[in-house]
Amino acid sequence: MSAPSHAERQTASQATANAELDPEKLEVAAGTARQNVEGWVPELASESELRSALEQAFEYRGDVTMTRKDGTKIEGYIFDRSNGSSLATSFVRILPKDTNDRVRVSYAEIAALAFSGRDPAAGKSWEAWVKKYWAKKSTGTGEASIQPDALD
Amino acid sequence: MPVPISQGWTVATYVLKQKLAGRKRYPFVLMLEPLFRCNLACAGCGKIQYPAHILKKELSPEECFKAVDECGTPMVSIPGGEPLMHSQIDKIVEGLVARKKYIYLCTNALLLKEKLHLFKPSKYLTFSVHVDGQREHHDFSVCREGGYDQAVEGIREAIKRGFRVTTNTTLFDGADPNSVREHFDEMMELGVEGMMLSPGYSYDKAPDQKHFLGRARTRRLFRSILSNRKKSWKFNQSSLFLEFLMGKQQYKCTPWGMPTYNVFGWQKPCYLLQDGYADTFQELLDSTEWQNYGTESGNPKCANCMVHSGYEASAMDHTFSGLRGLWEAARSNFTTTYEDPDALQMLNEPVKPVHAFNPLVQISNESAAMEQTRA
Repeated sequence: MSAPSHAERQTASQATANAELDPEKLEVAAGTARQNVEGWVPELASESELRSALEQAFEYRGDVTMTRKDGTKIEGYIFDRSNGSSLATSFVRILPKDTNDRVRVSYAEIAALAFSGRDPAAGKSWEAWVKKYWAKKSTGTGEASIQPDALD
Repeated sequence: MPVPISQGWTVATYVLKQKLAGRKRYPFVLMLEPLFRCNLACAGCGKIQYPAHILKKELSPEECFKAVDECGTPMVSIPGGEPLMHSQIDKIVEGLVARKKYIYLCTNALLLKEKLHLFKPSKYLTFSVHVDGQREHHDFSVCREGGYDQAVEGIREAIKRGFRVTTNTTLFDGADPNSVREHFDEMMELGVEGMMLSPGYSYDKAPDQKHFLGRARTRRLFRSILSNRKKSWKFNQSSLFLEFLMGKQQYKCTPWGMPTYNVFGWQKPCYLLQDGYADTFQELLDSTEWQNYGTESGNPKCANCMVHSGYEASAMDHTFSGLRGLWEAARSNFTTTYEDPDALQMLNEPVKPVHAFNPLVQISNESAAMEQTRA
């Protein structure tokens, strides 16, 4: 798995394009292009790479696995981040998968990061729903619905 | 505004106290999300896409009470997820009623009929039922056939048992104004106390990324829907906010007006955006860089937003900002019909609802997504 391609990084450029338009005159708001980062293991060689990867991890709706410089690992959901002036004063907060703790990890402690969990926001559920809806309409059989993800 | 006099008085005195105390930023309604789990997967919702261990988390009643006491608002909205799936929702509601908070429990009503016995009718408790339009519009919007019928059944039962019931309707691009107006007739005939409306927010995690309204189209849609009103329609929200949606008022966003507390903490900056979390309400107020949010800030994530959670508090603040605000609020409450011949003409414009696009035979025009009005 490599870093998101240029084509996949449309969010920022779309956002810029949107901002350049007068929002008061906008008819339809452009949606966000999906980023496929599930399974991604970013390079963290430089400070900017680390900060960028952690920003994406914060936006990610799946779990991540983080390896600290002391070798310990933590798997869970990043729900908060704070970008300080240095790596030591910057941190993420994680809800681990297997405990109810809230764990704070300094950027300076992080050795590796993997987007290890399934991305629950990456599905094609709406497109599938529209197809199912029309298939049902044309045949008149079956119940059409999208079920939320199972919890187990 | 069709709310009990005691509620109107409580809210008015609360806002006046904040103004007299000179508080620059004060909350108006607490958005209390006790869980993210839901029994629907609506096309326009970006609130529920989390790993299973997050979806299993619930705020305890004690955590809810602490947040409510910290925030101090007279009204508490309980969205989610689906709050009726919370294992202790009855305890949460009971505790908030004991605190004399006016609660709007926002539900899709799929479980309402079977869970009504958990609650007691009270002037403090309102079930705000999510109904996005007439049967076909609603079912398509919530991606569940039969969802409308279940919601209506829940509404009927709740009204029958003496509960306060309102509806909340979120509109997206492709909404048919004539159908929305007929939906209003149907809801008022059911006997709901009032209705709430909002355009959808462009959640970047929502399944459907193609039907978010831009500001120009939002104003035109709401002008066509809300002009030439029937006297039978009652809206359970600020009349000045509805004027804002119709393009008759200009407001800046008040993101702190409806602060959100959920399993992660106090959400920065608002109900719709997630830019981090604070552990206390005071920390939320003090540490959020508020100047970075709102359409006027240039933040692209705020560009299209005209949602109630940012702008209804602006309308309320306007109401109590002086004699002019009070006069405008009074005028908007008495000017109930909003006669507008041009808006009447707009109802005759052809509309193709979202559910009328058959992907099996049509190819969508992506370029339409960026079109701008020539007005």
